[in-house]
Amino acid sequence: MATTVLIVDDSKLARIVVGKAIAALQPGWMRVEAGNADEAVAVVEAQPVSLAIVDFNMPGRDGLTLVEELRARFPTMPLAVATANVQDEIIARARAANATFIAKPVTEDGIRGFISGAAIRLRSAPR
Amino acid sequence: MTAQIATLEDMERDALTELVNIGVSRAAVSLRKMVGQHVLLSVPSLEVVSRSGAITLIREREYGQLVAVRQDFDGAFSGRALLIFPESNSLAMVRAVAGETLTVEEASAIENEALAETGNIVLNSCLATMANMLKQPLTMSLPEVIRSNGSLLFEPRRLESGGGIVLFLYINFAINNHDIRGYISMLMDLPSIQALRLLIADFIRQVMGEEI
Amino acid sequence: MAITVTEAGSATGTIIYANAAFEALTGFPAAEVMGRSDRLLHAEETDRAVLDQLHAAVAQTGAGTAEVLNRRKDGTRFWNRISVTTIRDAEGSPAFSLATLAEVTGGPPPANGHAGQQHSRPKLDEARARLRQVQVSAAAAGAWEWDIATNRLVVDARFASIYGLEPATAELPASAFFKPIHDDDRMRMRIAVAGALQGAEVFARDFRVVVGGEVRWVAARGRTYLDDEEKPLRFAGVLTDISEQRKVEERLYIAQTAGGVGSFEYLSGYGTAEVSEEFCRLLGLRPALTLPVRTINAVVHPDDEAIIQNRDGQIREGAAFHECRITRADTGEERWLASRGEYRRAVGGGVIFAGVIYDVTTIKRSEAQLRLLTESLEERVELRTQERDRVWNLSRDLLNVIGPDGLQRSVNPAWTTLLGFEASELLGSSMDALVHPDDLAIFAVHLTALRRGELTADFDIRLRSKDGTYRWVSWTAMVQDETIYGIGRDVTQRKLLEEQLRQSQKMEAVGQLTGGLAHDFNNMLTGILGGIDMARRRIQQGRLQDVDRYLDAAVTSGQRAAALTHRLLAFSRRQTLDSRPLDVSTLVRSVEDLLRRSLGERIELTIDADPDLWPALADESQLESAILNLAINARDAMPEGGQLTIRLQNAHFPPETLEAKKAIAGDFVQIRVADTGCGMPPEVLARVFDPFYTTKPVGQGTGLGLSMIYGFVQQSRGHIQIASDEGKGTAIHLLLPRYDGDLPLTREVESEPPLSGTGETVLVVEDDPAVRLIVLQSLKELGYHSIETQNGKEAVPILQSNRKIDLLVTDVGLPGLNGRQIADIGRESRPHLPVLFMTGYAMEAADQSRFLTAGMTILKKPFSVDEFGRLIAVILQRSPGESGKPGH
Repeated sequence: MATTVLIVDDSKLARIVVGKAIAALQPGWMRVEAGNADEAVAVVEAQPVSLAIVDFNMPGRDGLTLVEELRARFPTMPLAVATANVQDEIIARARAANATFIAKPVTEDGIRGFISGAAIRLRSAPR
Repeated sequence: MTAQIATLEDMERDALTELVNIGVSRAAVSLRKMVGQHVLLSVPSLEVVSRSGAITLIREREYGQLVAVRQDFDGAFSGRALLIFPESNSLAMVRAVAGETLTVEEASAIENEALAETGNIVLNSCLATMANMLKQPLTMSLPEVIRSNGSLLFEPRRLESGGGIVLFLYINFAINNHDIRGYISMLMDLPSIQALRLLIADFIRQVMGEEI
Repeated sequence: MAITVTEAGSATGTIIYANAAFEALTGFPAAEVMGRSDRLLHAEETDRAVLDQLHAAVAQTGAGTAEVLNRRKDGTRFWNRISVTTIRDAEGSPAFSLATLAEVTGGPPPANGHAGQQHSRPKLDEARARLRQVQVSAAAAGAWEWDIATNRLVVDARFASIYGLEPATAELPASAFFKPIHDDDRMRMRIAVAGALQGAEVFARDFRVVVGGEVRWVAARGRTYLDDEEKPLRFAGVLTDISEQRKVEERLYIAQTAGGVGSFEYLSGYGTAEVSEEFCRLLGLRPALTLPVRTINAVVHPDDEAIIQNRDGQIREGAAFHECRITRADTGEERWLASRGEYRRAVGGGVIFAGVIYDVTTIKRSEAQLRLLTESLEERVELRTQERDRVWNLSRDLLNVIGPDGLQRSVNPAWTTLLGFEASELLGSSMDALVHPDDLAIFAVHLTALRRGELTADFDIRLRSKDGTYRWVSWTAMVQDETIYGIGRDVTQRKLLEEQLRQSQKMEAVGQLTGGLAHDFNNMLTGILGGIDMARRRIQQGRLQDVDRYLDAAVTSGQRAAALTHRLLAFSRRQTLDSRPLDVSTLVRSVEDLLRRSLGERIELTIDADPDLWPALADESQLESAILNLAINARDAMPEGGQLTIRLQNAHFPPETLEAKKAIAGDFVQIRVADTGCGMPPEVLARVFDPFYTTKPVGQGTGLGLSMIYGFVQQSRGHIQIASDEGKGTAIHLLLPRYDGDLPLTREVESEPPLSGTGETVLVVEDDPAVRLIVLQSLKELGYHSIETQNGKEAVPILQSNRKIDLLVTDVGLPGLNGRQIADIGRESRPHLPVLFMTGYAMEAADQSRFLTAGMTILKKPFSVDEFGRLIAVILQRSPGESGKPGH
């Protein structure tokens, strides 16, 4: 089954950047996008999602709240919070939700660790 | 210059300038990653001025319309951060961050959205770094793109005390080979300046701790 | 060995360091070559191909050696063996180029181009060895690495040497980093390092270290390396001793500031240029370290070359010099600047344009003046025109030109300064629009005189400024070819002063009169009270035939007292010069009574007026004041008594009695005031018009009398002449300009018996019981029906009721609602109700036009029953009976 990555960001530009970086690292993965937390929840309810990268600063519920919700539903899903808000509190909350913290702007290098880690985990624990 | 300038001691001023320097360096690194070009920064200039003084500072350097990404921050101290550049640079900026392959039409289509995200990243990098160093969490509003001839950028966001006096910080930046330049600017009103003073005093004690 | 350090990468960078041996070899002092390209050693014969090979080698391998023919400062040539090594920063990018230079004695002859090539092959080992040597002796980078987890600092030998540490101490506690830092820099370095340790990534700071009592400037450049989770891992960088560079920079800064030289550096492709503080100052901008190119070039005159050029990098190399005009951003002043600079290729692409600007305005101006002096007469005329233009532009006086059509053709900038109007708002319009309505008549007189070809000087009129206030302007004007050229000076301040003096003068005259007046009033009161008393006695005695005689006497005394109070109130009213057409004869007659009283019984007053006297144009109250002052002077000159003659006659200038020197010809009304007193000696006569000159004892007069009269007459465009014979008397002639036209009609007081009423209803509001009694009684006798009220509280309900009221008669000054307010309330329900106000207060009478609206009339107290009755009859005739009914 194909690996599907969910990209949640209110900025289209940010989704494009993240999408490009993932495509360069894992050309075979399918990508789905959501513009806010509600859309993201609708996506995971409608289709299987393997991993998610979530922006923090969004209108409506913020990304950390969404990650906490997703973690409650999917205890093993690889999750990452991407934000330029590199405050210690934010990083700590991401860790607490067992999510990886990725500093924006997202680059191939910046996201490589998370993507390769997730790839290994998904292979070793097929659903 | 006003009497309120006396509210910042030389040492506090130095410390604040350094703090901003560090925050902005981080922002410049973010910007460099986005545009793939070297970003030049000036030494931050830090002044306690009236709102109109802040407008004059920008107007003296820029004649046309300005475009700015505005983000308000709240916490132990509050204020507003702005990423400002000439409107004529706007599309060049979008293409620099979204890719040179974009046509002008494509660039205009995502212009506001791309500017907002750029501002979000640059301003967040800067503010978050400062917040970490002062060990005080800040909440950041969503970015907002505004176009103005200057005065709108500094309009008060609510009824502020302090007689329209603001701490005005600005840093020039220029992006090589793109003819893009602009300013990162931060405004705080008097109560926030006072709150910031206390935090800076703590901060100075902390970094100098081993010696005092 | 001669050593240079240049900015990263190639051998053609900017020299940032040169040692003493370099000066010994080349003749260029280190200070002179700092900041310049090392190409300054190149001669025409220098083999470019060899240099290109060297650059290629350096670019590829980071090192290279070549032998080239170079020139010294004195122009002599020498064979130079250059070895270049690149020093890289922590990220591996080229940071500096170190070059050693050595003269190769007996080198190949200049013609032999092959010899250089043999040596251009990189000799890496050799270069590295040299670098080690250089690193000890010259400014080179020391490196550090700070492990954040263990908080340990690892440094190399060069770092240790700069920090004054033992070379062996390779590993240190992290705090050692701050130990030698100068106290003044320590805090900011701690903050900066704290930032770096928390992930600020880029670290670039210059600071001072104190080693062995010596202060050195060092530059630290470093960065923080993060682990996969964005956590700071280590903080590493390089340290360079930049003391020499700082010294040069400081010297340069001082030289630039003192010499007014601003420097700039611009890399093609960028939107901003790096500039010095002095650079900003020269352009009138706030000091900054970088400025947008557009901001810099925006101050340059559009016809001149921009300061920063070559944005596209088309010019690759070479010196540049040009001059341009700028408009300073702060003051708007135009200055001349010279720009001197050099284009050179930048390391890593692009072209650097670096140079200086300085002010050459003075030189430019002297050049221009010199040119002007040597050029032809025509141009000198041009210069004079410019000078005249300068007068026109700089004058604080209002200058204008009015065409034959009466419209302003040009006005100078002083109009904008004084009155706030832009020239465009004034051109093509008549000055009348700005002249105070009260001054229009006198303005017209002067204009007419001008049109006749007369020069007119010192006439004062008020001009309206843009904010609506008025300024006094004193004008001198002349006509040439039907065009009027005017000069106006702002005399508002002087006028205010004059006004204060005039008022004090008037009050002084009143003061002088008071003693006599008190006496007169007592006399009149005696006449009134005595007459009434006598009448009452006669009535009690039943001797009614004498009653009328006593009452008549009382009435006469009362009327005289009333006339006197009116006059005094009018006289003491503060007012500015208000020239209007007036009948001088009537005016003099009206003050006759006052004059007689102040002159006393020993002086005989004769007033002699031509029956067909022309009207004059002057200020009534000023003229009164003048005549009174002259009369008092005359009285004081005749302590033993004598004769005072006031003669009024028409005069045409120049009458024989006047000197023709300054006077303007025309028709005048002459007022001659002559006494038979002691007269004046010639030396006193010569000074009588001087302000504050007085012959009276201290405390008896200010000495302003005659000078005020002089001012008033001059201002009225008239003349004053004084003649005096010691022991025989003094005669003063006032000549006031004739008013060419009919006098405004003054309504004659009708002397018909009062018309009787036919039972109309009059509502009376009066708080004074005595007056109320008289008014009600009079109304009753005249055949009116009246309603009596004391104040607004009583009157308003009646006015608001449906009762028939034909007329409201009310006092103005009342407790509670005043008369006008009562009238307004009445008018709400009875819009056409006629109102008659009774007032004893002069100010309100003076302001009638503003105080009254249609259907309202004022009657001044005191008044007679006849006067009262006639007025009521007139009012009621004007408004038919039903108009007073409530209009529901």
